[in-house]
Amino acid sequence: MRREIGNVMVIGGGVAGMRAAVDLAEAGLQVYLVESAPALGGRVAQLGYMFPTHDCVLCRGTSDHGYGCTRPAISPAFQDHNLHPNIRVLTLTNVIRVDGQAGDFRVVLRHEPRYVDPARCINCDMCSLVCPVTLPSSFQQELATRKAAYKLAVRSIPNAYIIDRGPYCDDCGRCVAVCPTQCINLNEEPRELEVHVGAIIMALGYDLADAREYEEFGFGRYPNVIHSMQYERLASRSGPTEGIVLRPSDGQRPKRIAWLQCVGSRDQKHPYCSSICCMYATKEAMIAKERLPGVHAQVFMMDERAFNKEFNAYYETARRKFGVEYTRARISFIKEDPETKDLLLHYPGPDGKMVTDRFDMVVLSLGTVPPRSAGELARELGIELNPYGFCQTDKFMPLETSVPGVYVCGTFLSPKEISETFLDASGAAGEVMRLLRSQLGRSPSSRQYPFLSADGEFPEERDVSGEPPRVGVFVCRCEPAIDGTLDTQGIRDFALKLPGVVHAELLAYGCQEPDLRRIRQAVVERNLNRVVIAGCSPRTHEPLFQRIVRQAGLNPYLLSMANIREQCAWVHEGQPDLATRKAKETVRMAVERVRRAQPVHRLSVAPTRRALVIGGGVAGMQAALSIADAGYNVTLVERNAQLGGNLRHIFYVAEGQNPQRLLRDLVNRVRGHERIEVFTRSEVKSHTGRTGDFRSVVVTHTGPLDVETEVRHAVTIVATGGEEWRGDVYMLGQDERVVTQLDLEEIIVHRPEEITRLKQVVMIQCVHPPSEVDYCSRVCCTNTMKNAIRVKMLNPGCQVYVLYKDMITYGFREQFYTEARRRGVIFMRYDEQHLPQVSRADDGRLEVRAWEQVFGREITLTPDLVALSMAVVPSPGTAELAKILDVPLSVEGFFQEAHLKMRPMDFMDEGIFMAGMSHYPKFIEEAITNAQAAAARAITLLAKEPLYYGGPVAVVDQDKCVGCLTCVRTCPFQIPKIRADFTGVGGIVGAAYIEPALCQGCGTCTAECPAKAIQLMAYLDAQLAGELTGAWAA
Amino acid sequence: MSDNGNHTFEPEITAFMCIYCADMSADTAGALHVQYPANVKLVKMPCTGKTDVKYILDAFEHGADGVYVVGCPIGNCHHVRGNERARKRIERAKKLLDEIGIGGQRLDIFFVSGGMGETFARCAHEMTERIRALGPNPLRAKERD
Repeated sequence: MRREIGNVMVIGGGVAGMRAAVDLAEAGLQVYLVESAPALGGRVAQLGYMFPTHDCVLCRGTSDHGYGCTRPAISPAFQDHNLHPNIRVLTLTNVIRVDGQAGDFRVVLRHEPRYVDPARCINCDMCSLVCPVTLPSSFQQELATRKAAYKLAVRSIPNAYIIDRGPYCDDCGRCVAVCPTQCINLNEEPRELEVHVGAIIMALGYDLADAREYEEFGFGRYPNVIHSMQYERLASRSGPTEGIVLRPSDGQRPKRIAWLQCVGSRDQKHPYCSSICCMYATKEAMIAKERLPGVHAQVFMMDERAFNKEFNAYYETARRKFGVEYTRARISFIKEDPETKDLLLHYPGPDGKMVTDRFDMVVLSLGTVPPRSAGELARELGIELNPYGFCQTDKFMPLETSVPGVYVCGTFLSPKEISETFLDASGAAGEVMRLLRSQLGRSPSSRQYPFLSADGEFPEERDVSGEPPRVGVFVCRCEPAIDGTLDTQGIRDFALKLPGVVHAELLAYGCQEPDLRRIRQAVVERNLNRVVIAGCSPRTHEPLFQRIVRQAGLNPYLLSMANIREQCAWVHEGQPDLATRKAKETVRMAVERVRRAQPVHRLSVAPTRRALVIGGGVAGMQAALSIADAGYNVTLVERNAQLGGNLRHIFYVAEGQNPQRLLRDLVNRVRGHERIEVFTRSEVKSHTGRTGDFRSVVVTHTGPLDVETEVRHAVTIVATGGEEWRGDVYMLGQDERVVTQLDLEEIIVHRPEEITRLKQVVMIQCVHPPSEVDYCSRVCCTNTMKNAIRVKMLNPGCQVYVLYKDMITYGFREQFYTEARRRGVIFMRYDEQHLPQVSRADDGRLEVRAWEQVFGREITLTPDLVALSMAVVPSPGTAELAKILDVPLSVEGFFQEAHLKMRPMDFMDEGIFMAGMSHYPKFIEEAITNAQAAAARAITLLAKEPLYYGGPVAVVDQDKCVGCLTCVRTCPFQIPKIRADFTGVGGIVGAAYIEPALCQGCGTCTAECPAKAIQLMAYLDAQLAGELTGAWAA
Repeated sequence: MSDNGNHTFEPEITAFMCIYCADMSADTAGALHVQYPANVKLVKMPCTGKTDVKYILDAFEHGADGVYVVGCPIGNCHHVRGNERARKRIERAKKLLDEIGIGGQRLDIFFVSGGMGETFARCAHEMTERIRALGPNPLRAKERD
């Protein structure tokens, strides 16, 4: 058995595992990423759209200027030819055995044969074409077919085919015979490998509840009953119908679609809430409304759990703008009309009478269950599972399993959506960075070039300035993929006659040895200073050839690729002459483009090894500790006299742990840490500079005099929190019997005798500031359950009413809702049209009038105490801090992240991160995870030497700039600024400046600048003009 | 002037596409071997927001009979709003082309997701058919006279 040594093993290659692996690799640790499927990507790779943004933009999963969408990956670090030098991807691999402890694990892996060598597979599809075995495609959820020789998805990592030698394969060997690169070996055997690592991250993901277990819904018997993941494939633009939803029974466009919520959630067998189904069903219904004009979309649900940032607004848009109908009913069975295959649902109508409705398609919103591989793996690792079969962790150490050195992230921890999965993943990476601090940065990698590289692997770059262009053109035959259609010899001969071309040669397979060596040799021997590769897609192969020319001493931007395979040979198979002509033109365009190309160099900065953390609550303290424990200095700024934030007012939690002990522990560790410098009674007054090199001024209010301190730091973490809103509603502040839930918690803990005297308590949920954006504060329902249960425990005879809109006890918190009902807490729903009324009667008693929906009449309660669930609002000063940092706020007034789903802990501005309630209301464990995630992202920058920025970005020629503000208005990212200290055309004061560390390189400003004063470095106007000449110089 | 009905006319078309969804949909068409006319030449941009009106006019000046732009679906732009900028610019350029007698119909913009190989090919077919019906670029026709 082979033995290898790394730092970390990440088990599971979905987005959580991939995200964790990238962060670890960027921090200079060696990572093994183990996935049992043939390709990376997990569940997210199958989703067409994310709620509530309706985008796919996995291409924006990382902050680097990644090339192209890398679906199913989340980063350009996961392309075959641009794999992060610190990540080893092992697909078709399972964990067999684990021995050892934290810092010293020995993991035995078993690699199942692919029967295809991914390094030599050219994705020509020949094996699949000749394969006689047709099977249902699991990637397309059985809605399409595949062969036994197949590729999981068009874009997969590894980018190669696989031979499925299940019982249906009769080993006919046609694939072997037809493969042009002889990369199929049916004699491949399973291999075992032992890897030595210091830490393990479990990112096993989830499985879907089995729709067939719910026989009453007829899945598998009624063709038009499908499950939610099937709907995702139908709605996906890469699905079997390119996104057109069709009825399985007859291929017709459905006119009435129903979604049934909580199938496999919130029931006897799965007593928890799956957290994602409400939102994905809303998304699916909205997509139906968009794509199928006039369709009726109806969602049958118990509560609409829209509990994250922008979710509530999304739900309202679905209801009001899109006309998605929401019906509060749990459907108990489906009947099919055997004639039409329509489906009949029975449910109580608005007047309480049962109605029967006809739908032509029903989607079962399947809940999430623990991954089926979890039990065995947990036993092998010795980690505990919770009663539901998900991974057990401590509330205040949310990412640590019961085995030290083994961490967990994503949906194996609890059901959750993508953004929270990313927070978990980066957070788990952060925990590993703490554990393995001595090894951080030991395997440095570089983003100096457009591809990822290990530091110092290249010879010095040749200075080609002043040389006339000497272009070398390499034409791949890629037999038969290109050669089969195109006259490659003719293309090569044509290329040699083009201006500037001094060398042209045919290659068999340019992406493989020995042809790679021939390219390098030709560059050196023929003294080439520009290179064109005419072959396959730059999307998959550009990083490879950029690396090759760089190895030969050229700047990687002096390479251009002509895609004569995917965009020529394969799409014009019936027109070989015209296709060859197009290929020649494409080569000429590439030559014209590259002739005018200039070297592009990224700028660099040696990062100051210090982080600034703003806010000393649980998130800020945790972030500071995570960074300091990893070996970097931290300046922690807190506005109040004491550290702790909201945690100072939380005395117990629903799960039972003691938050005051957490508070003491965090404060003591922060105060005692040699790497943390704490400024209390202090605020950040200014913040300038760029990632790696920020300068801030911290003002400390020490009595009559303010003291100012300048801090130099590489990264900034914003953790300024939020607070319970206190407004003038429901007689709060006018009658002492009306309190907030935080007040009630204080009474329960410090004056429990007052609780024992109560006869009736009314709790009102969703109390938010008037006329502002309505959003779910996420924590209130569970806090209400916590207090309601405690009131019932102290005083079982006390009546407790909860007036609520939607009961949002997501995930495992559902148990507290169940527990509250079991203890006799009475729940009454209200809606916006029937808000509860609180008043004082003439006799001084409190009166609460509420609308009873079931009976359709108003009832009056006379409680001794009213407890209000107040909204969580951003801390005062949030807007001012946003101005100082020059970062945006979300519609709710919290800080706005770089991307709602993909980058929840990052600001768009490199080097600034957020954690805790400054992002959005969240529970303690979520704030801790978020802080660990922000810390991990910060450490990836702190561990770099040097940090690269800029490069292929927009650059202003101030001598041409008239300061007209067009670029300022045009930029999608608000990066250009008019700087008064710059001089424009003709000596006018003020000219545009584009910060290279922030520019995203889209070139939108360059296209609109009326003075043509801005150039995008890798897409110079001269290059594009040349390329267009190349297209037409007949 | 119009070549309506002249089916021997093979238009020359330039397509500008972003390196995100558009280039990927073209690659998807390739991977699925979806066929489209070989008279469409593809020019890559970092984003459709980079499509300068000048590039479009250059293409027509050099002899393109038709030009189109392919970008990410609206709301799905890698650069958030680059494609919306491009759409506005295309509207402007269409008017310009009408004014100078080339005709705005020769220009269009499509929004295609990376998995939509069939749709990418359909855009190429659609533009080819449309330009074939419109006849050659008047600038080119003049050259021939």
